[in-house]
Amino acid sequence: MRSAALVFYALLLTMATGTFSLAADDAGKPVDFSHDIVPLLKKHCVGCHSGAEAKGGFSVSTRELLLDAGGAEPGNSAESYLIELVTSPDPELRMPPVDKPGVSDDEIALLKRWIDEGLKWEDGFAFGPRTYEPPLLPRRPELPPVVDGRTHAVDRIVDAYFAEQDVERPIVIDDERFVRRVSLDLTGLLPTPEIRDEFLADKSPDKRLLLIRRLLDDDIAYAEHWLSFWNDLLRNDYTGTGFITGGRKQITKWLYGTLVANKPYDQMVQELLTPVAGAEGFVQGIRWRGSVSAGQRQEIQFAQNVGQALLGINLKCASCHDSFIDRWTLEETYGLAQIYATEQLTLHRCDKPVDKTVPAGWLFPEIGNVDSEADQSERMKQLASLVTHPDNGRFTRTIVNRLWHRLMGRGIVHPVDAMHTEPWNADLLDFLAADLLDQGFDLKKTLELICTSQIYQSETPAVKSAPDEGSFVFRGPLPRRMTAEQFVDSIWQLTGAAPTQFDAQVIRAVISEDETESSLTETKLSGKWIWSPAEGQQVWPDGGHQISLRREFELPFQPARSAAVITCDNEYILYVNGKRVAADPNWESVELVGIQAQLRAGKNEIVIVAKNAGSGANPAGLIFEARIFLPKTDDEPGAELTIATDEGWEWAPQIPDACGRFRGRKPEWKPAALVKHPEVWSSRANPQLQSLLTQAMTGEIHMVRASLVKADELMRALGRPNRDQMVTSRPTELTTLEAIDLANGQRLADAIASGADSAASRFHGTPDALVDWLYGFALSRRPSDDERKLAIGYLGQMSEPARVEDVLWAVVMLPEFQLVR
Amino acid sequence: MTDPMQIDPSISEEQTRREFLGKLAAASTATLAGGAPRVLSAFDGEAIEHPAPTADACIVLWMAGGMAAPDTFDPKRYSPFKPGTPVKDVLSTFPSIDTAVDNIRICEGLEKIGSVMDRATLIRSAVQPDLGSILHSRHQYHWHTGYVPPQTVACPHIGAWMAKVLGPKNPVIPPFINIGQRLEGLGENEEIKAFTQAGFFGSEFGPMNLPFPDQAAKAVRPPRDMTPGRFENRYRFFRKLVDRTPQREFMSEFHQESMLRSIDNAYRLLSSKDRDAFNISLEPEESFKKYDTGRFGQGCLLAKRLVEAGARFVEVTTEYIPFIHWDTHKDGHNTVARLHSEIDGPIAQLVLDLEASGLLDRTLIVIASEFSRDMLIEGVPGSNANDQATFKVDTIEERKHYGQHRHFTGGTSVVMFGGGMKKGFLYGATAEERPLVAIENPVTISDLHATMFTAMGISPKTAYEIERRPFYATEDGTGRSVAELFA
Repeated sequence: MRSAALVFYALLLTMATGTFSLAADDAGKPVDFSHDIVPLLKKHCVGCHSGAEAKGGFSVSTRELLLDAGGAEPGNSAESYLIELVTSPDPELRMPPVDKPGVSDDEIALLKRWIDEGLKWEDGFAFGPRTYEPPLLPRRPELPPVVDGRTHAVDRIVDAYFAEQDVERPIVIDDERFVRRVSLDLTGLLPTPEIRDEFLADKSPDKRLLLIRRLLDDDIAYAEHWLSFWNDLLRNDYTGTGFITGGRKQITKWLYGTLVANKPYDQMVQELLTPVAGAEGFVQGIRWRGSVSAGQRQEIQFAQNVGQALLGINLKCASCHDSFIDRWTLEETYGLAQIYATEQLTLHRCDKPVDKTVPAGWLFPEIGNVDSEADQSERMKQLASLVTHPDNGRFTRTIVNRLWHRLMGRGIVHPVDAMHTEPWNADLLDFLAADLLDQGFDLKKTLELICTSQIYQSETPAVKSAPDEGSFVFRGPLPRRMTAEQFVDSIWQLTGAAPTQFDAQVIRAVISEDETESSLTETKLSGKWIWSPAEGQQVWPDGGHQISLRREFELPFQPARSAAVITCDNEYILYVNGKRVAADPNWESVELVGIQAQLRAGKNEIVIVAKNAGSGANPAGLIFEARIFLPKTDDEPGAELTIATDEGWEWAPQIPDACGRFRGRKPEWKPAALVKHPEVWSSRANPQLQSLLTQAMTGEIHMVRASLVKADELMRALGRPNRDQMVTSRPTELTTLEAIDLANGQRLADAIASGADSAASRFHGTPDALVDWLYGFALSRRPSDDERKLAIGYLGQMSEPARVEDVLWAVVMLPEFQLVR
Repeated sequence: MTDPMQIDPSISEEQTRREFLGKLAAASTATLAGGAPRVLSAFDGEAIEHPAPTADACIVLWMAGGMAAPDTFDPKRYSPFKPGTPVKDVLSTFPSIDTAVDNIRICEGLEKIGSVMDRATLIRSAVQPDLGSILHSRHQYHWHTGYVPPQTVACPHIGAWMAKVLGPKNPVIPPFINIGQRLEGLGENEEIKAFTQAGFFGSEFGPMNLPFPDQAAKAVRPPRDMTPGRFENRYRFFRKLVDRTPQREFMSEFHQESMLRSIDNAYRLLSSKDRDAFNISLEPEESFKKYDTGRFGQGCLLAKRLVEAGARFVEVTTEYIPFIHWDTHKDGHNTVARLHSEIDGPIAQLVLDLEASGLLDRTLIVIASEFSRDMLIEGVPGSNANDQATFKVDTIEERKHYGQHRHFTGGTSVVMFGGGMKKGFLYGATAEERPLVAIENPVTISDLHATMFTAMGISPKTAYEIERRPFYATEDGTGRSVAELFA
C-alpha cells in the first residue's frame, strides 16, 4: 500500500500547491493504459504471452487472464508476480528472457504505478495474435460451376456462397424496378419518362446490359454523380474550413475532368500523388492557422489520407502511437509521411517528440520501396507506382469494395475503411479486384460487371433490423437511402426547380481528345466591371447608391438563340426592352439568364438597375455579357454578336418603375466607367461567368446537379458531410430534424410549388394523367388502383394548386421514393 | 361531399403523445443499430458511472469573439479615457461596482447581473491553451467540443453530447437548440459550422439552428402560406398513401420504419402545442420588454421559453462576426459599453424568471467566451501569436485606441447560475497587475466541461467507440469536475 499512498500524496501536493504553470504537467497524471501500458506490454510480453499459445500458461491478453495467472495484484505492485519477473536478478527467472532486451527502469516504474493504480484496462480490449491477415498480392480465384444457367462470374461465386450458407437466392426484379435502381446508382438521377418508356418497350434480350452501358456512357451525368463519392473520399469541397486562410486547395477541376474522361484508376491515383497541376490539394491536406498537434501536421495528414482513401488503412491511431487495433506502427506512419515531407520529421509519440527519425518508406515493402535518398518529387513518383503496382492487391481490393458497397449497400469487407477485416467472401473480393486489374483499371468496367450480375438485379430482402456486425450473412443487395445529392437532384428533375448557377468551377462538357480545354474556354469573357464614374477622391460609391446602366443596339433580324450572364455587387434588376427578366441581390451567385424572348429585330435596349448596399463607401460593380447568334440566311453569313459591359455603356441616376419605364423627366445618360479594382470580384465571379457562358455557347445546358452546388441547409440535414475529414459512407437513416426540414423547409416547398405549377398546367383537367406521370417518374411504376383513387380524390378537379403540391410532396416523402431498392 | 382527409377525432392529444414517447424510445435503438458509434461501458477498467444530476437543462450564454474579463466580471485598476495615457498603464476601462455579494465586484454597466450575483458562481481563473495564433473559430471549436482542431474525426459539440447521452427532456422539443448564430454569409462561417454539429454522432443529435429569435416560430411552423388545416390534411394524405403502398413486405423494415417515425416526429412537433415555446411574440408584453435589447436579449427570452417547455441544451450567442461585438480590435470601450447594455438586463431576467418558475435549481446557466482580452498582450506572455490590434499605439490618443484590443488566453471569467452550483461564490483569481493570468485554481476547458457534464449527470469519462477508438466526453476522459463549485 505504501507506494499507492505515495502517489496519492503526490497528487494532493500538485493540486494544493496553488501555483500553476501553463505548461502541462504529467507527473501527477494517472497512468494511461492505452497510451502508456499497451505499447510496453506489446514490446516485451505480448509476443510470447498472448493468444491460444501463451507460453507457460501466462497470458497478458486480457485483464482477466492476467489476474487468473496470478500476474498482478491490483493496487499492490510489491506483491505482483509481473514485477517480480521483470526485476528478477536470476537470469533463469527474468522476463523477457535474457537473450532479449530487458524492461528499463522507467518502464518498470510505469508498470508499478499502473498496478498500484488498480491495473486499469481499456473496456473490451484484448491483446492477441490477429486471426486474420489480409493477403497483399492479387489472387484469381477459381470460379465455382455454373448453377441454373447463371453464368455471370459474380453470380457463380455468390450462388456457391448461398449454397454453402443455405441462403435462399433472392428473385430477380422486374424492369421497372431495375431501371430506377440502376439509373440512380450509376448517374444519380431518376430515369426520365422517355428513357424508362424506351427501356420498358425494348424487347431485346440484352436490354439491361445496353441500359447499363448507356448510363455509363453518359459521361456528364456519370461524372456529376460520382463526383460526390470522390469529393467525400478525397476530402474535396468548394467551401469549408481552411480556405479562409489559404490553407486548402480544391481539386475540383482536375477531379471533374478525370471523371468525365473516365481515366484509369491507376493513372488517376498517380496524378493525385505526383501530383499534377490542379490535384495538389489532396496531398497538401488542410493547413490550419496557428499550431496544430503533431498528429495533424500536413505530412501526417498526407499519410492518413493516402492510407485511408487508397488502401483502407486507418493510420489515425498509428499517427500518435503504435496502433493497438491493427498492426500499423508509429514508425510506419512517419515513414509514409516522410515520403511527402521536405524536411526530416521527428517522431512524436502522443504529441511529444521522441528522439527518433525514420527514413521515407512505404507500407508494404514486400513489393518494393521508395528510395529514401531521392528527392521529394522522385519519392512521390515512386510511391505512386508502388500504390498502383499490379502486385498491390490492397489497392484494387479497396476500391472495388467501395464500389460494391455503393451498389449493394454493404461492403464485402465492412466497414469499407478497415480493409484488414475479413471479407464475407474473399473469392468475390479477389475476383473483382483482379478483374479491375485485367480491365486496365477501368472503374466503369467494374460497375458494369457488378450491375450486370443477377445478384445486383435481385430483390432487396426485407431487413427487419440492422445487420449485426458480428455475424453478417449476405442475402442480397440492401435498400439504400438516397444521398442528399440524389434526393435533391430527383426533386429538381421532378419539379424543374434546379438552380441556374453552381459553385464547382468546372466546364460541364466532354472534352474530346483532339480538343483541349483551352479551346473550350476560348469563350473568353469580354464583359468588364462597370459603374458610374467615381466622384472626387472616392474610389467606391456610398452604400445605397443606385443607378441605371444601359446599352442600345440594333439587330438586323430575330436572333436564332441567345444567352446572357450577369452579376452585380450588390443587387441588380435586368430589363430587356422594358421587360424585367432577372434580379438578384447576391454578387457571389452569378446567373445565366434567358433574353431570347425579349429580343427583336431593330432597336433593342438593355437597362440594368444596379444598387450598392451597406453603409459608407464600399465596392460596387456590375458585369453583364450577352451572346446573340444571328442565323445564317441566303443573304447573311450568320454571326455572333457580343453585348458586354464596357466603357461604351451609359448611366443615369434615374431609376425606372417596375415595368422598366422611366417616368417624369427623361434620364440624362452619361458614359459609364470601368471600376478601378475589378479584382475585388474577378477571381471568383469571372470563371463562373465564363463557364456559364461556355455552356450557353456549346448549346448543351445540363440541369445543374446538387454535387456542383455547395452544401445548403437541406443537403447538410440530409447527410452531406462537412468535408473536413474523410467520410466514406453517408447516414443510413432519416432523422427528426431532417424530417422537420422536409416538412417545412422553404427551399423544398418552393421547388414543390414550382413543380406543381408546371405539372398542373401540363396535365390540365386530367388528374389521372398527372398521377400516372408522377408515379412513373418518381417511383418507376404505375399507381395501384387504390393509390390512384386516393390521389385523384385529393386532387379533385385540380382547381387548387395547393392540392397538386401536397400530392407531389407526399409522393417524395414516401420511403419508397427515398430509398434506392 | 365529405373530405376524405377529415381528421379522425378519436385520436386524442394525450394518446398521440404517449404513442409518440414510445416510438421515440424505439427510434434510439434503431439509430444505434444503424452503425452508429458504440457506447463504452468502462474507462481504464472502471465501469463508467454517471453522477447523479444536479441539473436537467443547460443554457450556455455565449459571448462570441472574446469577452474581456477586465471589462466585465474581473475588474482591475480603472483608468478613465484620457489622451496621453500609456496603453501599458491601462487594465480596466470601466470602474467596478458593488454586487449582491460582499466579496464580488464587477464592471459598471452590469448592474442587473450584479444584483443577482448572490445566485451565481463566478470563476475568474478559466484558462485556454495558446494555439500559436488566434483564429477565433479554432478556439471556439475547442471550447464547444473540448478538442483543439484539426482532429481526425468530426468532434461533437457539447450540446450534441447532452442530446446523445441524455436525449430530449420533452420528446417534442429538439434536445440541442442553437440560437443567434447565422451560418451563412459571415466571415469564418465554415469554421463555425465545423463545430456547430453533432460530428460522428450523426445529425439526429445536431443542433436545431435558430439564428433569429423572432423568426424561431417559423422553424416549427408549416411552410409559408400553408394553413394548419392544409398541413394536417397533407400529412393525413401522406399516411394514407403509405398505407396503400403495394410493397407490403417492406413496411416492417427498419429503414422504412425509422424513416416514417422521423416524419411522424416532425409532424408532431410542427402541430403540437409545445411549438408555442418557439414563438416569443406570445410572451406578455411586459416580460418581452425586459428582454428586448436586440437579438441576444430576445435569444435569452427564447431560451427561457424553451427550457420551460422542456429543452435539454440551449446555446444563445451574441453572434460571432469577425471584428464585431466582443471581437474588439479597436474602440473596445464603447463597443463593450453597448454589449453591457445588451446582455445585462436579459441575463439577469433569465435568472429571475427561471427562479420564479422554480426551474433555476435544475437549470445550469453558463456565461462563457472563447478567451478574454487585454489592452496589451496577445495570447499569453511569451506567445508568438501575431498582434492583431487595429491601432498599435503606445499611448491612447483617441477613443478608438481605448479598449481591450488583444486576444488574451491566460485568465478568463465564466459565470454560472443554478443547476446545483454554489450561490454567491467566487472561485479562482487573476493577478492584480499585468499579465492578468490566473494565479489560483486554474480551470481548463476540459475541467469546465467536466463540471457542466457532471451537473447534467454525464460522466466526463463517457466514451463512444468510433473507428475502433474510444472518444471521450472530455479529452481522453481526463476532465475533472471542479467539486468546490457544487453547492
